[in-house]
Amino acid sequence: MNSKGSALDKYLGLLNGPQTMGRGLPFWLGFLAIVAALALGPEFLSRYQIINFSNFLISGFMALSLCLIWGYCGVLSLGQAAFFGVGGYAYGVVAINLLNAHGNTDIAFIAGIIIPVVFAAIVGGIMFYARLRGVYIAILMLVISLVIGTFMRQTADPDYTIGAAYLGGMNGLRPDSPDDPLLPSLIFGFGQTIQEFDGRSVSFYYLTLGLLVAVYLGLRCLVNSSYGYFLVGCREDPERTETFGYDVRRIQLSVFCISAAIAGLAGTLYTAWGTYIHPDGFGVAQNILVVIWVAVGGRKDLSAALIGALVLEWVSLRLASEGEYALLVMGAILVSVMLLAPTGVVTTISDVIERLRTNRAQAEGAKAPEIRKP
Amino acid sequence: MEEFALIFGYIYQYLDNIGFLILAASGLIIIFGMMGVINMAHGELMMIGAYITAFTYYAGVPAPIAILLAGVGAGIAGIILERLVIRFFYKQLLSSLVVTWGLSLMFSQGFLLIFGPSILNIPTPFGNFPIDEQTFGIYRLVLFGISMAMIAGVWAVFTFTRFGTHARATMEDPEMADALGVNTRHVYALTFGLGSALGGIAGGMFALTATISPFFGINYTPLAFITVVVGGGANVITGLLASVLALAGSQTLVNNLVNVYVGYLGMMGTALIILLVLPRGISEYLERRKIRTERASGRE
Amino acid sequence: MPGETDTPIIEVRDLVKNFGGVRAVAGLDMSIYPGELHCIIGPNGAGKSTLFKLVMGIQRPSAGTIFYQGRNVTRLKPFERARLGLAIKFQAMEVYQELTVFQNLFIPLRRHHRPKQIPEQAAHLLEQLHLAGTEEKLVSNLSHGQQQWLAIGMSMAVRPEVLLLDEPTAGMSPEEVSETARIVKDLNAGGTTIVVIEHDMAFIRNLDSRTSVLHYGKLFAQASFGEIEQNEDVHRIYLGTM
Repeated sequence: MNSKGSALDKYLGLLNGPQTMGRGLPFWLGFLAIVAALALGPEFLSRYQIINFSNFLISGFMALSLCLIWGYCGVLSLGQAAFFGVGGYAYGVVAINLLNAHGNTDIAFIAGIIIPVVFAAIVGGIMFYARLRGVYIAILMLVISLVIGTFMRQTADPDYTIGAAYLGGMNGLRPDSPDDPLLPSLIFGFGQTIQEFDGRSVSFYYLTLGLLVAVYLGLRCLVNSSYGYFLVGCREDPERTETFGYDVRRIQLSVFCISAAIAGLAGTLYTAWGTYIHPDGFGVAQNILVVIWVAVGGRKDLSAALIGALVLEWVSLRLASEGEYALLVMGAILVSVMLLAPTGVVTTISDVIERLRTNRAQAEGAKAPEIRKP
Repeated sequence: MEEFALIFGYIYQYLDNIGFLILAASGLIIIFGMMGVINMAHGELMMIGAYITAFTYYAGVPAPIAILLAGVGAGIAGIILERLVIRFFYKQLLSSLVVTWGLSLMFSQGFLLIFGPSILNIPTPFGNFPIDEQTFGIYRLVLFGISMAMIAGVWAVFTFTRFGTHARATMEDPEMADALGVNTRHVYALTFGLGSALGGIAGGMFALTATISPFFGINYTPLAFITVVVGGGANVITGLLASVLALAGSQTLVNNLVNVYVGYLGMMGTALIILLVLPRGISEYLERRKIRTERASGRE
Repeated sequence: MPGETDTPIIEVRDLVKNFGGVRAVAGLDMSIYPGELHCIIGPNGAGKSTLFKLVMGIQRPSAGTIFYQGRNVTRLKPFERARLGLAIKFQAMEVYQELTVFQNLFIPLRRHHRPKQIPEQAAHLLEQLHLAGTEEKLVSNLSHGQQQWLAIGMSMAVRPEVLLLDEPTAGMSPEEVSETARIVKDLNAGGTTIVVIEHDMAFIRNLDSRTSVLHYGKLFAQASFGEIEQNEDVHRIYLGTM
């Protein structure tokens, strides 16, 4: 190992570890370059493109949330959008009710994260402690998401109001007053300072980018901490891990809740971004896309899953301008990757690079004594 | 007379719900119950069956033959899928879930591109009969009858035919079956094809009552899956019957007490409760009881 | 040798486990004493591995009671029993195949050590197990015998009071078997109570401990290994393998 890399390893501490790909100077320089490029985006992208990029970044949160439970803990959920939707609706309902009184959406933002966590704690508590098999959990989560979606679709009746918020059935959540059909944007208030992040603005883009980088780095620390080892232990062999004295159910439930928090954050940002949330947020397409991003990028690594989401979202947008076959192509990509590179494209590429490097190092190592011989 | 109509109405709904669940699940019990593969594209195989039925029917083929053609078409599609994709995922449950979900997306989106979102309809045959002031469709009772025949047929195929014996041997211990001269590759492909064909037939029969669109499948896959899982793998046929009786019962009851949507929720809730109490399904519990009573009577 | 007057560290009473129609453990009474090294032998299907799973809590008994240090633990979950001081190395599931040796050891070592101490502790353990310097190797690149040692090391890493070893020498060469015997005896000399299920008679002879023979889920005989070796009845059920 080169000394620069290991010195950096020490400096960066928990960010580097056996549970994440990418260590040493080249990786972090690359990381900084990508973040810098994204940060400079508004300089050379159109306003319309920036709005789209904000949405891509929101997808990144969803990929990270699924990667954490599926890739690291071995708990697959096909219904990750349930937390996304619950977060979005929770944000919307609280924001509609409290915006006028508070002048900001601080509590709504928090609710958009906490309520999905409470929901995950209840659903996950039942599923994990009943020791349901992994596949059943995966499909039950999808069913739960679809059932909530079906429920939300039939709330067109004006009786379905929560305070000043009207659930609105197929038209999506909106305030229970005819004059303003839109949901509030994010407005953070700290004492006297008030900052609005309009979904179509550059400031919202920076907010989302900042949060995504923070969540990514935070999760890197998490999975490389002792807790991350326990997660991997639960994935590899839950029974063996339990015999060491670890409460596997509690570990699974806790990581499920963390994942729900991140998905809820994504739902909150999404609702604030488009100032609307719709029952389709719970639908099949929303759910399957998350699985596609993570499976295609590489489920066992945070960076791979995140890259998968950002690249595929960009591809989808390009395809959408050509016709209606974006989802068909996404399905085809998923099936081909599962057949040809089951660990994911980014992970496979990184493994190949790693192998080439070690081969070269070995080749050089093998050459060295030959030179000395004569 | 009014009471009779009311009671008959409940029974009619119950039979209708039972037939519906059995038809939706009958292909899946073979694929999941016996092969242990979860096919998330099962609903799309049913959709293929529904489209084949609709197109052949409007081309002038009588409905029963159109439905059989649907079975053949879906069966062939199933065999192709098994050879191209599914066979690489036999020992990986979660991966098979993901890859078949991808196939399901490809089918529904592919059909959307080719046939558009337009909805097809085939008139429901046989008409209605009145009791008191209510009318009941005869076709629903026919569906119930066919669902029962289908279960009996599956049981007979796996119990009495050479293919059935080979299939059960292969599912039990593939290597041993291979060593005994069973062509396990063929058995896997044919079993998957048979499950798909049953799905296609079910899709064809639902085509006569439901609207056909590229998103036909999503209405069935989760329901079929839950029915099979609640039934459990110890004895797929008794499991399926027990599961269907319980789920259709709770659905019919809640449906009449509240409304259709809550009836659906009631069924999901029942499924969840059964799974929490019996994580391996009803049939596992029934088998355990059987063994226990056998031993108890044997000791006396 | 510990006396029978001590409180047993593990005691099972009337233990029964049925699988469908098969009775794997059929009313077993048995005690293990603190500090003991105890071997369990018996023909295939005698219920040895099932007994371990019941003691660890991986399976629930159909009837009967399990005591640990005088406390009824029959209803405790595996991780709760592990926290009381029980550890196990199963026959089949042993190491995390996809992880490195260090990652494998980190998980059990973290129970009693801070992350900073773990590299040193891991190196120390690997030294004892003849695996020094293998920290960064993937477990799947280790030999079968090395994986078995690592699995034993992982169970030792939680510093158990009682260690249950199910066939620790399976698939090992004779040299590796005698090395394993040394590891087990060292560990026992350090105060850990050890119960071993084995088929390898050379290994059990080497350990030379109190030995129980299970047959059809019941305790068939219990004595020193020397006496067991001379026992005609044991020979009859165990024909030819001694």
